[in-house]
Amino acid sequence: MKNIRESCFALLVVGVIATAVPASAHHGTGVSYDASHPITMKGVVTEFHYANPHPQLYFDVTDEKGNVVHWGGEFYPNPAQLIQGGWGKRRSEAALPVGMHITITVSPSRAGTPVGAILKLLNDQGEVVMGVAGGVPGQAPPPGPPAGEQKQPEQK
Amino acid sequence: MMRITLANFNVLLGAFLLCSSGAFAQGGRGILAADPKNADRPYDKHDISGIWSRNGTPGGYGGGGTCRDCGDRGYANAVPAFTPLGQKMFDANKPSYGRNLGSADAAAHTEEAIGRRRAVPPASGSDPYQTCNPMGPSRALIYPDPLEMNVLSDKILQQFEWGNGVRTIWTDGRELPKDPDIARWWGYSVGKWDGDTFVVTTTGVDERTWVDHYGYPHSADMLLEERYRRISYDVLELNMTITDPKVYTAPWKSETKKFRKLSKEGIKTVDGWAGLMEDICAPADDVEFFNKRIRDPAGGVVH
Repeated sequence: MKNIRESCFALLVVGVIATAVPASAHHGTGVSYDASHPITMKGVVTEFHYANPHPQLYFDVTDEKGNVVHWGGEFYPNPAQLIQGGWGKRRSEAALPVGMHITITVSPSRAGTPVGAILKLLNDQGEVVMGVAGGVPGQAPPPGPPAGEQKQPEQK
Repeated sequence: MMRITLANFNVLLGAFLLCSSGAFAQGGRGILAADPKNADRPYDKHDISGIWSRNGTPGGYGGGGTCRDCGDRGYANAVPAFTPLGQKMFDANKPSYGRNLGSADAAAHTEEAIGRRRAVPPASGSDPYQTCNPMGPSRALIYPDPLEMNVLSDKILQQFEWGNGVRTIWTDGRELPKDPDIARWWGYSVGKWDGDTFVVTTTGVDERTWVDHYGYPHSADMLLEERYRRISYDVLELNMTITDPKVYTAPWKSETKKFRKLSKEGIKTVDGWAGLMEDICAPADDVEFFNKRIRDPAGGVVH
């Protein structure tokens, strides 16, 4: 039952992202992001804050020249939603410890600041974290095992 | 506002079929539509107690969609003409919901009222809820998250999950205040049965609240009428009318909003604690943390 619930949750998170990204975040922040130009980065977690109105992930991204940019990302699901999918606070925090290497896809801010809405998040094992496996808006989710157990190829 | 393409709709439909088949019954929110199993289930038309939700995405609420026939987050697309004061108030409100102001998307949907086509980033907006101010009755009712009707002997307490707002509807026979000394964020409300319709009238709502997400204004003299009808075991219907001559040149009727009944066991924490979530907009989280570190920088305002 738990696995089915999590599969449903992951599917719904994707569905909600795919259909609602342009304008309907909990606090109306959707308008701040450019969903038509998602970007994928490799980074290292520096901080994770599981709270209303949307959990936030802070991470460092190092470019080819060694410059480090500190990014902030908001999850579209809020804690109440995540809880319904089985992603409570302890599980989420355990999945995103400081120092975790991640591959993350975001809709970047239209303002050009290093802030984004998280569309897809993979941990250092290539596993989907917190059910956020949306890819780009409009992309159908791949059917498969529940979040947390799902292996996916890294997005190019 | 959500926009669902055919392809995306198919994705959601697949999810609904999977998730509403009973597999999601434990701890989920499989409330796509009125459950066919309840079609002939007896119910009391005068019992509107319990948890109700306008959201139809199993497990996905809070910024997600509403169920397909429950109405959207707007009060109504057909808006009466503003008075000069109303126009001034409308122009001063800068919402962050709907289609982006000045976008091709907004220009392509002239069938929608202008209120739904003028979204700006929250950092440059004026939405009172961005800083956790109470939403006021009509906006709270329209948001897709669940609400609980707590029916007591002399009042009904409406508890809204989003914002953890609580509103009192007095049923002890009192009359509305004619000219309240001070406006309230949730106004002054009384309710009574008219046949099988529960009618709530409200006045004295603080005019800093918005009618809906799109920044439609009202004055403190607004008279808001809500008419609730339980039309089946798990469907509650709501129609509203705003009468506010200071702001609108004619009464403004809402589109019909529908709610699905949820059991408290339908909402559980990972520990199994049933009932509405504590979805509070706390300044310590929302304003001091989220706004400063995410919301504002996303809109180009870096602290």
